Amino acid sequence: MPRKFIALLCVAASALAAHSTAAHHSFAAEFDANAPIELTGTVTKVEWANPHTYFYMDVTSPSGEIENWALEMGSPNGLMRRGWTRDSMKIGDVVTVTGSRAKDGSPKGNARSVTLAGGKRLFAGSSQDSAEAN
Amino acid sequence: MRNSTFLAHAIAITTLAASGAAFGQRADAVKAPPPATPRLADGTVDLGGDGIWDQPWITDFGKQLVGDQQIPFLPWTKAMYDYNKSNQVAYDPQGFCLPPGGPRMFGTPYPSQFIQDRKRIVVIFEGGAHVWREIHMDGRPLPKREDLNPTYFGYSVGHWEGDTLVVETTGFNEKTWLNFNGTMHTDELTTVERISRPNRDTLHYEATINDPGAYTKPWTVAWDIPWNEGAELAEYICQENNKFLLELKDDNGNPFFEDLPTEEP
Repeated sequence: MPRKFIALLCVAASALAAHSTAAHHSFAAEFDANAPIELTGTVTKVEWANPHTYFYMDVTSPSGEIENWALEMGSPNGLMRRGWTRDSMKIGDVVTVTGSRAKDGSPKGNARSVTLAGGKRLFAGSSQDSAEAN
Repeated sequence: MRNSTFLAHAIAITTLAASGAAFGQRADAVKAPPPATPRLADGTVDLGGDGIWDQPWITDFGKQLVGDQQIPFLPWTKAMYDYNKSNQVAYDPQGFCLPPGGPRMFGTPYPSQFIQDRKRIVVIFEGGAHVWREIHMDGRPLPKREDLNPTYFGYSVGHWEGDTLVVETTGFNEKTWLNFNGTMHTDELTTVERISRPNRDTLHYEATINDPGAYTKPWTVAWDIPWNEGAELAEYICQENNKFLLELKDDNGNPFFEDLPTEEP
């Protein structure tokens, strides 16, 4: 098994062990678990707020159009326990997000993990992870 | 678990975790037993300490039943349960940042802490959001429901039965769900919670739900809550920026919460 894959699973395992996360509304009511997204873009805004931290980023489509995406993460307390700090992500950083797209088809998603500008990958306290971990 | 991909991941993780060699880690020969139940100077079980209770997310009370095979719904609570399920529990009051109320508070995945003395036990919950419960321990009787104004957490009195804290609560309002998955209740709800700490690292939580307005008979749920030694509570103010609430639509596609008209000064 490739070492990188094992490392990824280790991270996933520790994420599952951490119960404290964002959990106040139904993930399934807003996002589609069957519509996975992986996006790379430039951060335009970070809202470090409850009950969900949001950040926004410009993503360039294959046709060259720039679309501003809204990404929901966990609450600041949950993110803190997953290793996030106020300086983890700044405007102008290029980051890669994996997660699920909003059901309404708008450029909005629920982030499960974010690979930060420095290459570090952090879990985003997605409510999807905790619901399924039960 | 909602999708097979996740299940596959979970199986892979479990398999890897079972074979410590795959991580290049040394397998611990024997895991040390958890430290004994801590006690106060007078011998009473200490529900606190230098740490927090890492509450799990209990999404389905139907999977936590003690004794019963299924939740004893009345027809209306079964119908509402099915309806709530049909819209992915979009209208769960906790999603609006209102407190969980009732036993659900101990199944909401933010940590908690007990502050304990002889006259009262205060439980501080990081989630729900940033709420607390006071349990009167001075021997006062449980008031009649009719004499109380309805509240989210009701009115609680507690006593010790051996090493188990027994908490009776009445006076709930009807603004909460018993559980994430849409089990509802009326203001006839009373609960009896039995809380014990069999060792330092485990809080055993059990709650009997008695609501003749919603269920055919009392029913009991239970789960364990792990201790996180050395960890601390953090801040969580749910009401700050709840975009979910602002964008929520009703069954007809209209905003669930209407903008209130602003009066001209």
